[in-house]
Amino acid sequence: MRPSPATTALFLAPGVGLLLVFVVLPVLLTAWISLNNWSMYTPLSGMTFVGLENFERLLGDRNFRLAFRNTLVYAGLSLAFILPLSFLLGQFLFTGLRRGRTVLRSMLFVPYMVPTIAVAIIWGYLYSPLYGPLNQILRFFELPGQAWLGSVDSALFSLVIFNVWQTIGYYTVLVIAGLTQIPRTFYEAALIDGANAWQRTRFVTLPLLRRTLLFVVVIATINTVQVFEPVYVLTQGGPANATNVLSFQVYRSAFEFGLAGQASAMAFILFLLLVVAVGAVMRLLRDPEGRDL
Amino acid sequence: MAHPTRRLSRLLAALALAVLFGAGVAQVQLTYLTHWPPETVALLEDAIEQYEAQNEGVDIQVRAVPFGNLLSTLRSQAASPSGPTIAGIYELWLPELVANDIAAQLPQDLTTDLTENWSEGLVGSVSVDGTHYGYPNEVNLYALNYNTRLFEEAGLEGPPETWEQLEEYAEALTKREGNTVMQQGFGIINSWDSGAVHPWLSLVYSNGGSLIENGQATLDDPAALEAAQLYERFIANGYTDPAMGTANASTTGPYLQHFANGQTGMIIMANWWQSALRDSMGDSFEDVATAPIPVGPNGSGPTPVSYAWLTMVNSNASDEQQQAAWEFLAWLNGPDSGEAGSSAMGDILMSMGILPSRGSDVEAHGDELSTPFLEGYVSQLDNARPFPTVMGGAEATAAIQQALEALQFGQLDAQQAMEQAQRDVQSILDR
Repeated sequence: MRPSPATTALFLAPGVGLLLVFVVLPVLLTAWISLNNWSMYTPLSGMTFVGLENFERLLGDRNFRLAFRNTLVYAGLSLAFILPLSFLLGQFLFTGLRRGRTVLRSMLFVPYMVPTIAVAIIWGYLYSPLYGPLNQILRFFELPGQAWLGSVDSALFSLVIFNVWQTIGYYTVLVIAGLTQIPRTFYEAALIDGANAWQRTRFVTLPLLRRTLLFVVVIATINTVQVFEPVYVLTQGGPANATNVLSFQVYRSAFEFGLAGQASAMAFILFLLLVVAVGAVMRLLRDPEGRDL
Repeated sequence: MAHPTRRLSRLLAALALAVLFGAGVAQVQLTYLTHWPPETVALLEDAIEQYEAQNEGVDIQVRAVPFGNLLSTLRSQAASPSGPTIAGIYELWLPELVANDIAAQLPQDLTTDLTENWSEGLVGSVSVDGTHYGYPNEVNLYALNYNTRLFEEAGLEGPPETWEQLEEYAEALTKREGNTVMQQGFGIINSWDSGAVHPWLSLVYSNGGSLIENGQATLDDPAALEAAQLYERFIANGYTDPAMGTANASTTGPYLQHFANGQTGMIIMANWWQSALRDSMGDSFEDVATAPIPVGPNGSGPTPVSYAWLTMVNSNASDEQQQAAWEFLAWLNGPDSGEAGSSAMGDILMSMGILPSRGSDVEAHGDELSTPFLEGYVSQLDNARPFPTVMGGAEATAAIQQALEALQFGQLDAQQAMEQAQRDVQSILDR
């Protein structure tokens, strides 16, 4: 017996209602605020409608363009490390390591469990150019010390290293979970057919891990595009705006400069960027046979 | 043994009685928002406890947030009647708070207290268009701090008084190993807006320049360009390593550590960092000396940037809360609340090495203000020039910071940096 439309609506209402209140409404509100000038000191009714002025201003805003570029670079570099590293580590932990697998997996996952703010403070010390342990190690091997967060050339990359270190355990666990779903019979058949290790990886593991890798890319994209805490704690967007990313620029515009309209315009663009990026990734990694992943 | 239901009934009855009894004494609840560290908050709470004992019916809770979160907390909560009743704020934020009707006017009966006990300049720091909005408390100004031990090692005597000497001293204090600067002669702060802008602006002021005149940005003035060129030379000659100047979210970090560890010979900083330096340096703090800002070729004397903080009352609070808040602030800033003629506020500020602003507080703390470190600041109070408080001031500061940092990291030369800063600041002022 098919349920009546009223019954369907009744059962859907809690879920849809929550989605409307906590997802759709904030997005619409952000879009509306982006069309206004607002200092956040007044109620929403005190906003001044300015149409698309905030978006126009952003087009000519040097800081916004730089933050946009830095966000893309940060996300791209992070993904370039996270994807292959998590795959290799996952493979190693799942198939290559016979003893100590659980311990190593736990050690990899621990940084992800510690609050970013706490570990960022530690990394601030590690990255110190003169007294930081990283440069002391380099100097021990008679290698030149690096400026790390103190240089416009290396600051963003230093944040990428921090991000990869902190999150790689989480993505590795995702990969391991994906590997457990691949039936052993595929590998046995490949072995019988004479496939070597590389061929088994290329033609068995990677195709069957596609869904997991897609999930890793989507989650890593969302997380990296929204990076905020390490920038806030370690660099404040500096030096010379080298680590200024969209989330931090949104924060500064809204809370430090009182330009909530402009900040909302940026946040809305960030939202659209994420939708486009995730859509592009899903399309790029779509199953060759066109099935939904 | 009583039945659980009966015990629960008794408990609920006791709670109800407690609520009814509590409701008998009218309580005015106030919240005091501050960015002070825990040890200072403890002193404020002691003062509050003393006040509450004398004024039954007033309950004041302190809410402390890091400096970086103070403005964001105000923005997100000040519009609500249940937001902070009292807040310690940076004077640069006042025009916007007044424009948005957040800052309540100082009651008429307290105006005389303000104008008679604080200097005209400080009264100006709590005023917008002639109306007063609070009590001044912290006064900060900039001076040259230098490490006397490093000076002795380099064979230098006394602090530099001119830019020319500043460059000579910076060269003498710089030590390298290969291409790595192990000890920089002069430290320049980056990644923190005020830390980047105020020291540089102190050099501009000490070269006869300014930041804003009659609502117009004046960074295209030769005095500003020369200060930018001074920075350019420091970096080009390796007397300053920008990588050693980064600040973190709590406005401390590597720049402070490098000075504290004796890896920076000289730096321009404000008096508030005394407590942070002392904590980092321990006994070596005795090596730190203070001197006036070196004077540029077009300057007539040291002219450091100064800025003040004030305590304001939220106009969205109820009338009863506002009245109680002003009464408390009058007491906190009055001569009877602290030790030996000082206000409690004066005592609290001095615990951090911050100069108090009330005239009688400066007198009461005369001995402490004449320590070698603070005396160098106190002696420059009369020469100090306030950072301009205008709408968009925070954004303008960030714009100058960006230009200066682009200069420090070789993205722009001095001329380009000043052109960019002038353009950006003017567009913010025009908004």
